[in-house]
Amino acid sequence: MEGKIDGALINPFMIVHPFEVLVAANKAVHLHRIGKMKTRRMYSEIIYNLSPTNNISDAFKRFGTSDSDTAVLIVLVHPTDETRHMTEVMAKVDGQQIPVEDVSKMVDTAQIKKLYRTTPQEDSCLLDAVVCRMAVKDVI
Amino acid sequence: MAVDGRSVAVQQFLKKTELIKQGAEARVYRGIFLGKPTILKERFPKLYRHPLLDEKLTHRRTVQEVRALLRCRKAGISAPAVYFVDYTCHCIFLEDIVGSVTVRDYITSIQLSPQKSQEERLDHLAKKMGLVLAKMHEEDVIHGDLTTSNMLLKVGGDTEEADLFLIDFGLSYISALPEDKGVDMYVLEKAFLSTHPNTEALFEKLLKAYTASYRKSHSVINKLNEVRLRGRKRSMVG
Ligand SMILES: Nc1ncnc2c1ncn2[C@@H]1O[C@H](COP(=O)(O)OP(=O)(O)O)[C@@H](O)[C@H]1O
Ligand SMILES: [Mg+2]
Repeated sequence: MEGKIDGALINPFMIVHPFEVLVAANKAVHLHRIGKMKTRRMYSEIIYNLSPTNNISDAFKRFGTSDSDTAVLIVLVHPTDETRHMTEVMAKVDGQQIPVEDVSKMVDTAQIKKLYRTTPQEDSCLLDAVVCRMAVKDVI
Repeated sequence: MAVDGRSVAVQQFLKKTELIKQGAEARVYRGIFLGKPTILKERFPKLYRHPLLDEKLTHRRTVQEVRALLRCRKAGISAPAVYFVDYTCHCIFLEDIVGSVTVRDYITSIQLSPQKSQEERLDHLAKKMGLVLAKMHEEDVIHGDLTTSNMLLKVGGDTEEADLFLIDFGLSYISALPEDKGVDMYVLEKAFLSTHPNTEALFEKLLKAYTASYRKSHSVINKLNEVRLRGRKRSMVG
């Protein structure tokens, strides 16, 4: 990877399904608009939103990326008809691009269960278990 | 923040939705949120209440609802997943239990069907309700507004067996007290018998299933009987 990328750089092994990322991004955009983000930037807020806890540095440790990583999920927030930034970002990444749906194939299920403390009863739909915790974490 | 106080997510959602219920406390819409069939429950301000008090109460209901949904799901009780909560407009985005009917409508439809198969299907349902409520009380969740409209039956899912979902947890709270659980069952009994006339025997079957599967049900049923008696006395005096 060359230069800085203006986007949320996420560890794809911690993502059950892209829906989860949409939920995190939607929440970040919402909180940004009403001035109630917990972190300073929209892209860090997306990463924070993925985490089941309210600990920011924890969220970055789990869901952020490090130099040794072999895969990255990049999330950009942009107006629907403005894709220039996306092209720029793609030019900066040296690697093979895969369909976003394929992140589900990479997920480390055991890690997810441990981190979100899901119960065996929730095994039938891990995505719902994760999204529920993300949605409700501010009031737990 | 949008001009009318609703967030972008809410506004976008509302563009293509169908209002399915306008209640006294909330409006319930059905639509698509981030690609998923979703129910939006929007609690609106009550103009007769003081704005600050109203805001506080409405916020509390929203919080209680989402907390209880998560707690139930963790315990394996079927309840819709929560996708997003907007605390500025008291909106909850919930998993749409697609293809479900309220237990209320289900019972009514059975009662209209041929006599022969009625009893068996109703008994089966009553038993299922008893089991789910036992599980909920085992988790110390008091629903606070148990009615047959606040339970959804999803027929024809992955399995032959219909799944019973609990919804509408805005008045719920956590308590281990048999009294609170007894009152919860009393509220259901009242609602059940007034919504579905001549179902006393059916409700007894529900209680029987509840009792059989809940270790601490004995003290709850005692409390239920106490509350029933109080209720009767009050109506005799009044
Ligand atoms: N998750 C859901 N899936 C499908 N239908 C739902 C869902 N939540 C609510 N409904 C429908 O909307 C109605 C009202 O929802 P409810 O949460 O009970 O609100 P209210 O407080 O107005 O009673 C329910 O009786 C049911 O018919
Ligand atoms: Mg209701």
